[in-house]
Amino acid sequence: MLKYGLMYGLLSARRRAREMLLPAITIATGAFLVVIVFGMQAGIKQQAASLGHAGEIGHAIVLISVTVLLVGVVEAAVATTRTIAHRTRELGVLGATGVRSRPVLVALLVEPVVTAFFGALGGAVLAAVVGAVLGAANAVSSSVSASGTVTGLVIAVAVSVVAAAITSVVPIWRAVNRPPIKSLSAS
Amino acid sequence: MAKHLGLTIKDVTASEIDSRAESSTQAEAAATPPDPRSALPTSPGGTFGRLMRFAIANIRRRPERFVLSVLGIALAIAAVTVVRTISTSFAITGGDSVTNAIGSHAIWVVPAQGVTYNAAAGALVSEGPASDITLPTGWTGTEMIAGLWHSSHGEVAVYGVAETPAGEAVMSARLAQRLGVSDGGPLRLGGHTVTVAVSGGSTAIAISPDLARDIVGDAGWWVADEPAADQGRNDLGKLFGTAVGLPSTQNPAQTPDKNGNGLVYDTTTGSGAVSFAQKYASAFSGQVTDSTLGLISIIGLVLGFVIAVSSFLASVQERRREFGIMSSVGLADEVLYFFLVESGVVFVAAWLIGVLAAGIAIWAVLPHLATPVAWAQASATVAAFLPAMAIVGAIVPVHRLLQQRPVALLTD
Repeated sequence: MLKYGLMYGLLSARRRAREMLLPAITIATGAFLVVIVFGMQAGIKQQAASLGHAGEIGHAIVLISVTVLLVGVVEAAVATTRTIAHRTRELGVLGATGVRSRPVLVALLVEPVVTAFFGALGGAVLAAVVGAVLGAANAVSSSVSASGTVTGLVIAVAVSVVAAAITSVVPIWRAVNRPPIKSLSAS
Repeated sequence: MAKHLGLTIKDVTASEIDSRAESSTQAEAAATPPDPRSALPTSPGGTFGRLMRFAIANIRRRPERFVLSVLGIALAIAAVTVVRTISTSFAITGGDSVTNAIGSHAIWVVPAQGVTYNAAAGALVSEGPASDITLPTGWTGTEMIAGLWHSSHGEVAVYGVAETPAGEAVMSARLAQRLGVSDGGPLRLGGHTVTVAVSGGSTAIAISPDLARDIVGDAGWWVADEPAADQGRNDLGKLFGTAVGLPSTQNPAQTPDKNGNGLVYDTTTGSGAVSFAQKYASAFSGQVTDSTLGLISIIGLVLGFVIAVSSFLASVQERRREFGIMSSVGLADEVLYFFLVESGVVFVAAWLIGVLAAGIAIWAVLPHLATPVAWAQASATVAAFLPAMAIVGAIVPVHRLLQQRPVALLTD
């Protein structure tokens, strides 16, 4: 049953691709920052050292870039609440015809998770390209480390996907477990 | 009209939450005929109270969206607050350190190598020997030694202050604690033993100039004051600079020419209202807000604003019919008030959570970097952005709605 839920979710996510553009962009912005920060850690450490307290400022920069990524991810969850509101009747029909709540939950989770994954990946790849170009053109004072970029990419994608799933699951769960009659009679 | 407003808000609110509430409201209305002397609605709380109730009813209709937008904005506000706290504490240390270093002297001549703030010592130290100048006649001043002493307890700034008695080291209680000495006790300073005198809050040890020269070398700067005849002039820096043949400035962000002989800072207010220490402080905090940190936090705030607008847009879309009803009974601009109050509630809640989260994050990750005062100041600074964000966040979605005719809102 979960497999069908997943496929149903993928199909509807494809249909609603345009509406997921804004959350994808906000997530991409956050992911871009995270990857740049990890890739240029050496340069940022240098800048932090000029301010004194190099270690603490370095931590603060990582903490704040991850926070910004989370802000981007929350937009995906806000978009999910919009999706749910649009599809209340559809959820009612599914419930009334006896579809269990778990496959529906999976189907609705596909949208934020896919958005987060592609958004983060897009932003991270863009950051890696920008970092590489800047490094090659010697536009930045420090080198862009490849290992740092990869770490940043993995962290950005993992944090976005997990955070998108966690923030979206509660509104979806509430919507899925509404009595079908209420969902169907909603305007 | 006012009566209509009150009843409409009440009815719409009630009907949206619970149909039972609506019937009871109607029953109430039927049971108690309105007082003909008063044109005002009878529900308590005044206009603002009713707007608040309406906003809260709408928040309760989509609680998860409210929670999510508050969460997103709170995260963004927390990021900005952390950065502002760091920059404010930099400003406080910058201002304090310049006051510690030069006191109330009007002229500060720094060497060509410049002065730097040593974070470990917590004080300003000179990077080179004081400029080779002779005081112009009438001016009072002194060459002050200001260098770093590498003690076994870390780096400590040492200032040679003329008034200090020989064989005595004046320091703050905090520094004495750091060095493990007490008032009146001995301190091994380089090859000398001096008596500790705890007084003041300076982050540097003040000793006699000869002793200081012996310990930290020639590093230092000049401080000077104008002759009595020139008191109150606002071009003291220029006057002194011309007399000694050095460039002068009132701007602490300007650094001396590496190949020159030094730079004269005029620390009097001059024509501006901001003191030199304050200017120095803002130059110091600017280093943080202009750094990567400041840039990232501003991007975060922009994303937070995007969340606010997109969640209000969604809420407007879902309530088109409701607003159609309102505008067909003559409530057009009032719709904006509903959204202003709602957006105000969202932003205030996000600010409270964000500022608290920032406080916890700073306390956990950067305990040495920030003080509660800096945090409070930063929270206040961030609060200053909120009204603008809340108002724009409410106007953008409603603006499109107000352009449409009621029929258009009701039909689809």
